[in-house]
Amino acid sequence: MRTLDIEQSASTPRIIFQPDERVLLIRGESYPENSFEFYAPVAGWLKEYLAGESTLNLDINVSYLNSSSTKCMLDLLDILEEAHCKGARISLVWRYDQENPRSLDLAQEFQEEVTLPFAIRSYQEEQS
Amino acid sequence: MDLFLLREQFTKDGILMCFNGPFSHSIIEEMGTAIKNHLAAENIARMAVQDVFAVYIEMTQNARNYLTRNQIPIEDTGSATILIAKHGDCYAVASGNVILKADVEKLVSRIDRINAFDADALKKAIRQQLRCDVLPGEGAGIGLMEMAKRSPAKLEYSLRDIDDRYAFFTLKTLIRRAS
Repeated sequence: MRTLDIEQSASTPRIIFQPDERVLLIRGESYPENSFEFYAPVAGWLKEYLAGESTLNLDINVSYLNSSSTKCMLDLLDILEEAHCKGARISLVWRYDQENPRSLDLAQEFQEEVTLPFAIRSYQEEQS
Repeated sequence: MDLFLLREQFTKDGILMCFNGPFSHSIIEEMGTAIKNHLAAENIARMAVQDVFAVYIEMTQNARNYLTRNQIPIEDTGSATILIAKHGDCYAVASGNVILKADVEKLVSRIDRINAFDADALKKAIRQQLRCDVLPGEGAGIGLMEMAKRSPAKLEYSLRDIDDRYAFFTLKTLIRRAS
């Protein structure tokens, strides 16, 4: 299994696969100079992983996505959805900030695009 | 060069930040971080901070992608003017850059079309655009719609003739300070 570990920068999120729990973490903000270039290796990794494995949990905490990153995120979700429809065990948690209504809208818009288990949790309820 | 006059002008127009010159992705990133920190320290809704930032990012990336894609030479024309100002109970985010006259009509009709949408139609159009295959660098459509989604006002634009080849395009978006 190939590892995936992308360092965080101001305009790109940390993306790391933790093999023990089979969790793919995505954390930070996303407005790269070239979103398609940035996300291509992630999409490549996902396809390769899902060709051999059937369990993947995503933990996403991205407070801002520019428009081209939103499109790339949708492409990643499509890959996951396809695996889900073929019987893979995919689950996703999307974390958002209750004090920022836009971040909930964003989560819900992505949720509407797929049928795989997609939970939306606020930072606030995590802490309480 | 009279910095006092420039400063008076800035104060009069409520300008918080203004950049003029050639810009790179790292300048966009640095200024964006500065804007976010500045706004976070003001007592405004978190949504407003994010909306100003989001509009700023879409605007500057649109301008940069356009200038790069059309290989507009940095020396004379390949720079942009970016401004953030307080306008009553709103923030104004504006950008200005040179565009090819040949592109004016397409751009203007695109903005007029977006301005004609109500909130629901805009949401649908964004979704539709996200779902169609756009070649990298041919975006702009979604960026403009994202700006419109966050603004209580229509997207405001103006054009000024430069010469036979170029025009100067200015785009302004308002963001409400309180939610």
